[in-house]
Amino acid sequence: MALLITNNDKAKKFCMDCRKEVEVIYLADGTYLDVLLRTRDYVHRGYRLLTHPLCGSVKPNQTPYRSVLLEKQSAREENFRSVELIENSIDAARKFMRNRGTPRWNERTREDFKTVDLSFLTVYEQRNYV
Amino acid sequence: MKLELGRIKIHDVQFGPETKVEKGVLYVNKEEIEKLVLEDERLIGAQVELARPGESVRIAPVKDVLEPRVKVSGGGGIFPGMISKVKEVGSGRTHALVGAAVVTCGKIVGFQEGIIDMSGPAAAYTPFSATNNVCVVIEPQEGLETHDYEAAGRMAGLKVASYVGEAGRNVEPDEVVVYETKPLQEQIAQYPDLPKVGYIHMLQSQGLLHDTYYYGVDAKQFIPTFMYPTEIMDGAIISGNCVAPCDKVTTFHHLNNPVIEDLYKRHGKDLNFIGVILTNENVFLADKERSSDMVAKLAEFMGLDGVLITEEGYGNPDTDLMMNCKKVSQKGIDVVLITDEFPGRDGKSQSLADAVNEADALVSCGQGNLIIEFPPMEKIIGTLDYVETMIGGYEGSLRPDGSIEAELQIIIASTIANGYNRLAARGY
Repeated sequence: MALLITNNDKAKKFCMDCRKEVEVIYLADGTYLDVLLRTRDYVHRGYRLLTHPLCGSVKPNQTPYRSVLLEKQSAREENFRSVELIENSIDAARKFMRNRGTPRWNERTREDFKTVDLSFLTVYEQRNYV
Repeated sequence: MKLELGRIKIHDVQFGPETKVEKGVLYVNKEEIEKLVLEDERLIGAQVELARPGESVRIAPVKDVLEPRVKVSGGGGIFPGMISKVKEVGSGRTHALVGAAVVTCGKIVGFQEGIIDMSGPAAAYTPFSATNNVCVVIEPQEGLETHDYEAAGRMAGLKVASYVGEAGRNVEPDEVVVYETKPLQEQIAQYPDLPKVGYIHMLQSQGLLHDTYYYGVDAKQFIPTFMYPTEIMDGAIISGNCVAPCDKVTTFHHLNNPVIEDLYKRHGKDLNFIGVILTNENVFLADKERSSDMVAKLAEFMGLDGVLITEEGYGNPDTDLMMNCKKVSQKGIDVVLITDEFPGRDGKSQSLADAVNEADALVSCGQGNLIIEFPPMEKIIGTLDYVETMIGGYEGSLRPDGSIEAELQIIIASTIANGYNRLAARGY
């Protein structure tokens, strides 16, 4: 079963209504970086990344919202590539945050960012492979 | 496949009763363009304004830039699958209004998009300060869903560029450039002693505001394929991407891809340009694996000795870039990457969000975090309302007098990751 880690309520709702079974960890007050850090915890518990941790071309200090899909794998499989990707992504996110923090967006812009983040996930429902 | 590209040089743009080209001046009928755009029920406002090089004009927020072109002969029409019916393009003759551009602007979402200054210090960072621009400011119906508005804005640009391009159909071009790529075996046989070089062209294709279209198909839905470079010059690839202004590949850049242009310049001299491998940038890692496997397989199958790879965007696509680099290198093919960088303002952090050992040759198109000053302009086309929420802008960016302080990445195409820009590092 896939696991969604997100701070985007639109992504949470999509996965809960999705015809596939997805476990959702919703970080209601979490930041973009919080989502990546929680993702790292799960990667170290033997999950592998299904989606890339960074949000398209939207920079990590722009959008407040992020959603990452993972999957538990058997103990025999290595997930080194997932470890490397999440570490690189956390480094990249921290680099942008150091430069400048995420702006205090108005409600409408926050909704737009949620919509963009969600649009990356919607293909999941039609997929018959991972 | 052989294309004659007739370049009609445009040195001025004016409003006139008829849309036409006369002695290098492009005249456009404002009302006809506005009517054309408003055929789309999703849009309730369309305002056409002109911006010429050297004028005290700032255009913002910019969605797309397009070069007006028309297919004169050879089958198919410009922007196949979007404006013209789906039919292979890239052969025969096409006319381009070189020095003119259609610029679509207006709010799409509360972030994204960028700025074009037609004069002053910031103008040097964008190629569109040197073009004669027909700007179309669009306004959506209230409450229109973001996906629909993006689509309406994208189609408005394509429609206007095709309409304006039509004015070049019967005009004698100032110069005609011939581009030709033969089928694989013939192309290899033409210059058997020269290294066989290909171009791996990665299209942003991850979702809303991150999409690119190939003959009308959303690029996330295709698998990597071969393209004759001249197909791209006829608008077989168009942009639906409005993410980071600085490295957004506009439709103009697809039509005028500098990697293709330069490879053709050296074709038959010191290399044999075999063609383009088109691929996408995906959200799911399994799709990144599949696409990069296929890219490497195609490169091997074509017998390439070397490839250039360009990406669109930063972060997530860096992984596609590195997977392509690694797998193509493992086939014994030399790889050079072309991209822009985000190494932090001091330039000391990692430039890209991913890396592999095989990535040992890279051409940088610049870094977007540099802070620059924009003096006030006399005229604004569009609005400055969103400057502080654009990528590269921040709280306090816009001053009461209309001047701006912002990062270089706010300017359209300032660090574009295919090299169609002017940034360079020189040692003295």
